[in-house]
Amino acid sequence: MKRRTFLGGAMAVAVVGHGSSALAQQPPIKIGMSMPQTGGLAGGGKASLLGIEIWRDDVNAKGGLLGRKVELVVYDDKSSASETPAIYAKLVDVDKVDLLFAPYATVPTAPIMPFVKQRGLLLMGNFSFQVNSKVGHDMWFNNAPWGPADSWAASFLDLAQKAGGKNMALLTADQEFAQNLALTARDVAKKRNIPIVFDQVYPPNTVEFSSIIRALKAAKPDIVYVASYPPDSAGILRAVNEIGIGDSVKIFGGGMVGLQFAAVMSNLGSLLNGVVNYNTWLPEKSMYFDGTKEFFDKYTKRAVEAKVDPLGYYLAPFGYAMGQMIEAAVGATKSLDQKGIAKYLRENEHKTIVGPIAFSADGERKETATLQAQFRGVKDKDIEQFRSSGKQVILFPDKLKTGELIAPFEAARN
Amino acid sequence: MNKRSHSIAFWAAVAVFLVAVLSMTQIVRNEYPFFAGYVILQFIALAVAWSILGGYAGYVNFGTNAFFGVGVYTAVALFNATGAPLVVQIAAAAVVGMTLGFGVGLLTLRMRGIFFSIATIALAIIIETFVMNWRFVGGAAGIQIQRPPVTAPFDSYVKMLFFVQAVLVVIAIAIARYIQNSRIGRGLQALRDDELAAECTGVPTLRLKLIACMISGALISAAGAPAAMYLQYADPSSAFNLSYSVSALAMALIGGTAHWIGPVLGAILLGSTQQLLAVTISSEVNVLVLGIMLVLFVVGAPKGIIGLLRPRYRLRAGGKQ
Repeated sequence: MKRRTFLGGAMAVAVVGHGSSALAQQPPIKIGMSMPQTGGLAGGGKASLLGIEIWRDDVNAKGGLLGRKVELVVYDDKSSASETPAIYAKLVDVDKVDLLFAPYATVPTAPIMPFVKQRGLLLMGNFSFQVNSKVGHDMWFNNAPWGPADSWAASFLDLAQKAGGKNMALLTADQEFAQNLALTARDVAKKRNIPIVFDQVYPPNTVEFSSIIRALKAAKPDIVYVASYPPDSAGILRAVNEIGIGDSVKIFGGGMVGLQFAAVMSNLGSLLNGVVNYNTWLPEKSMYFDGTKEFFDKYTKRAVEAKVDPLGYYLAPFGYAMGQMIEAAVGATKSLDQKGIAKYLRENEHKTIVGPIAFSADGERKETATLQAQFRGVKDKDIEQFRSSGKQVILFPDKLKTGELIAPFEAARN
Repeated sequence: MNKRSHSIAFWAAVAVFLVAVLSMTQIVRNEYPFFAGYVILQFIALAVAWSILGGYAGYVNFGTNAFFGVGVYTAVALFNATGAPLVVQIAAAAVVGMTLGFGVGLLTLRMRGIFFSIATIALAIIIETFVMNWRFVGGAAGIQIQRPPVTAPFDSYVKMLFFVQAVLVVIAIAIARYIQNSRIGRGLQALRDDELAAECTGVPTLRLKLIACMISGALISAAGAPAAMYLQYADPSSAFNLSYSVSALAMALIGGTAHWIGPVLGAILLGSTQQLLAVTISSEVNVLVLGIMLVLFVVGAPKGIIGLLRPRYRLRAGGKQ
């Protein structure tokens, strides 16, 4: 490995010294990754991959990295943790890739964390949640805007408390991501002395939520924190629409997965109104940085052909940003030395199409940039409406804020 | 060849296999073959273990994933609690798998055919739900595991796991071969063809079914136990993934269930194809290719590869020999 990075560096020096005519003959820089292209995470995985591919094409159009073309080596991990160890071993030992990107999501990423730590390899994370907290790898950088583990629940509860919320109901799916959110929500609530009046964990694949929502309503909570997966998110909102949730509820939502995807959003339509939920990127004024608009122009065109999420707000721009960070680090260090790149990534703030990114020691964002946004004025069956601003008003973080919370929840639904 | 020389040839082949595996771990430096090879060996063990109940006795167990997951989580729980070494984890998983197999065996008292299969799926769901709510082993969020240092003569943990899984394959095959050639195997074959008739002619059907379930369960769980250390991560949805059930069943059926070599051939063929497709075509197409392969075998070779290779087994599988 050391020998190869040395060679890479030597080539880079040779490249810089000899001008562009020699550059085209250099072998490409290979970036390896697995990506869920089948299975439960495939929808997200494909959108994320498209974002990375757009970056690859952009960087190659500019002449590549260190004058070498960038090539992606991508395998399908079937959304499963059991596939990724063999795939990453192949990427490193057989394909001899120069850099590694992680697959989308926590489950496929978790098994490769010890592997990259043992081998001393740089890994750019792709929307995992707290996957490095136990491993403690110092060459891991997550592109997701999560930030510190408790910031997610803290931001939602900040909004809720400002609106006068004093007690909380928790409704969570019995699955990995939702349970992680629930754990931090309970901790934050305890620290702030917010009593939890209702705490229901439901099994995955639950479709009928009316009895749960009735029980929740009977507990008369002020704050309803929901951590759910796409099919349940839809089921919960339908049940809330039919049964109502009571006038006491100031704020509803928080960690509902699925409400970021175009198909789910257009399917639910007006049922979304009033819900305050997390997001990563939204077409609001405060979210446009250098290159953001150009990226989405390209994405919108290519998404049709690639048959992925037509909006692509949730993951795709972060895939692109992951590439931008590598581009900046390789450009600044003028080498493919992974330790050098890691040092650069850790010590600097990086300009990307999703805003400036700075990392803390654990490789997560220094500050959370996870948005909490409220759905407003959403009509039924119209995907295009989500491209305009004002449909999801950003309430948190303050520097990206585009409006104030409308409370109580029932008032915001109209 | 008589029975004795058959035995000598079998054990000689086993010795050659194990020596080859061991020397491979010492000579080959590239780790990828061990990662991929481990998965293929794991599937051989699973398919052979599955066919003890599913092939010899004809009770189609769709709960391979339940036994596999139980193996994984027994290892995780034990490692978490006591830091037990790998061998102890595997032995404990085998014991727990055997106990679970006893329970499944009792199910066969009341259920046969499709109803038994459905009950085994239900079993997997029940156990997965239990594990999801067991915080000690990470619950629904999963758990990351730090491997202990590797034991000599191996220089990497994956190489050691590769060798361990090879030993498990040998154990599974040796047991399957013994059962096939013994009174147990003949009794299972009789009850597969007609359970009532077998019972009437004095075959102790319940006892045989219990033995088959317990052995099959113990072997599947034992094969699952090293997966915790292989992945260094365990989460219920991966450990109890239905694909283990489908793959084990498909491998045994493609290879043929009348002889222990059937599941071995099926697992090598299907397992290698899966590994190969994962790093070549690597898209939705690989699922399609596997599907087509299954359909072709079901239509073209209903008795599996061994049915194609040796017509003798076709007869035996039909119960006429």
